[in-house]
Amino acid sequence: MSDRVLVATFEHEDDLLAATAAVRRDGQRIVDAFTPYAVHGLERAMGLRPSRLTWVCFFCGMAGALGMLWFEHWTAAIDWPLDVGGKPWNSMPSDVPVAFEAAVLLAGFGSVLALLAVSRLFPGKQPPIIDPRVTDDRFVLVIAQSDAAFDLNVITTQLADFRALSVEERVTLPGGELQ
Amino acid sequence: MTTNATVRPAQRRLQAQLMIAGGLVLAVGCGIAPTRIWSNLLVGTFFLLTLALGGALFVALTYVSGGGWHVAFRRIPEALATMLPIAGGAMLLVLVGRMRQYGWHHDWHGDAGTFWFKERWLTPSFWALRAVLYVVLWSFLAGWLVARSRRQDRAGSPSLAAGNVRISALFLAVYAVTFSLASVDWMMALEPMWFSTMWGVYNFSGMIQATLAVVIILALFLRSNGGPLCGVFNDEHLHDLGKLLLGFSCFWMYIWFSQYMLIWYSNIPEETSYFIARTHGPWGPVVVGSIVLNWVVPFFVLLPKPAKRNGRVMMRVAVVVLLGRWVDLYVMVFPATLGETPVFGVWEVAAMCCLTGATGLLFFRAFSAAAPVPERDAYLAESMHYHAG
Repeated sequence: MSDRVLVATFEHEDDLLAATAAVRRDGQRIVDAFTPYAVHGLERAMGLRPSRLTWVCFFCGMAGALGMLWFEHWTAAIDWPLDVGGKPWNSMPSDVPVAFEAAVLLAGFGSVLALLAVSRLFPGKQPPIIDPRVTDDRFVLVIAQSDAAFDLNVITTQLADFRALSVEERVTLPGGELQ
Repeated sequence: MTTNATVRPAQRRLQAQLMIAGGLVLAVGCGIAPTRIWSNLLVGTFFLLTLALGGALFVALTYVSGGGWHVAFRRIPEALATMLPIAGGAMLLVLVGRMRQYGWHHDWHGDAGTFWFKERWLTPSFWALRAVLYVVLWSFLAGWLVARSRRQDRAGSPSLAAGNVRISALFLAVYAVTFSLASVDWMMALEPMWFSTMWGVYNFSGMIQATLAVVIILALFLRSNGGPLCGVFNDEHLHDLGKLLLGFSCFWMYIWFSQYMLIWYSNIPEETSYFIARTHGPWGPVVVGSIVLNWVVPFFVLLPKPAKRNGRVMMRVAVVVLLGRWVDLYVMVFPATLGETPVFGVWEVAAMCCLTGATGLLFFRAFSAAAPVPERDAYLAESMHYHAG
């Protein structure tokens, strides 16, 4: 399998969206798209499957809520029963606010950490940036050159129709990262 | 421009039949079980009034926050808002028609020293005057807002929308104070010796949640079978309304629990009376039911993104939320007026039929009075093209 890719740069998000949808409709394999900010509708145009991060968020939240409910019950009613205002030891209403906060905290941290782990990001990492201007005002679409449907001339003309500023061929590094 | 295609004659007839049949049963019931009929009327008219007020609130909030996403279906909350004079008039009739139902009117057991303010505040003439003032203020401001929005269809002047931002700000300030007071006057005063400082926001949360559910149901209805919003109300709008419904369901639960927990924690007898009557004994399961309908179902069903973009799922959840809203109001009123045992029978069903029919008739009459889409609003293009993500 060839590791050659085609890198197309756009000035407007609408052009990127339309080009992504058109190229995918023609059967090309889209490696990735790089944008300065989250472009709504791009994940649909790229045909990405729904993110699994929402499930991480949900189960971390549930673990936070249920774990904290159990812990509060254990500390206040089992390990060292505490009499607060003459209320029963297993007073659920007083456990709810902390359980709620723990659910929010774990859901938040869990999602961010899972995202960092999946995208192999960590402090101090220097990711190769495909074009410095994708951090500012350019939109980049990367198409794989491996497929049988790939025809360089046809695709270059097609991308020009979507006002691509430049279309160039690149080679991916052995690790699969783009340079 | 009048569009009569919004609702078919058969549907209009069904709404009228529901309203008249329910109304007749209630009229008969007035002689048999007057307290129970009145309680049903209070729940029903407060439900209807808060839907109308919620429509005005939705329109005002989106004007003030500079929103453009909702413009494609803005005529729905606007039509709800124009129901305010009639819904408010019905509310006044129900309130004044049986003022002795309010405990302070016959059963005053406070001492003048401690409760001097409460005694003055709940003086019947002052109380009734305030009710009229609330309804007049809401009807006037909401009517003004909607009339200017409709005038923009003809005049097209963007200054009408700009002015509506200022009217909306005024409405929101007036609404925040008066609705809080109205919920205290009309619902909390059923048990005049009980009080909760969260009552206003608790009523607000139920109101906005039910309004969103009704907007979802009406929008889905109006886009089905080639209705006037077919091709206008799209899945992006539905998705955002779903997010709001999910959020305000959680808000309702948050407020409900905050009110409950503060009272449970401090455990002061004059505050706990409300929850002892409702969570101990046969009302307990009804309260749990209201929590399931208003939060558990919408929360777990609407969490996944595809559910919020699915018309069938959203329609069902919205109906569940409306049932939950009725149960929530039922739990506020019935234990105070009818006592320890929940009752459900022909009178409640008749009142629900009457409420559903009247809401349908009033809404579609108001919706047909203007163009179904505010075609010359500057934000309409934005509303048609945005992505909810």
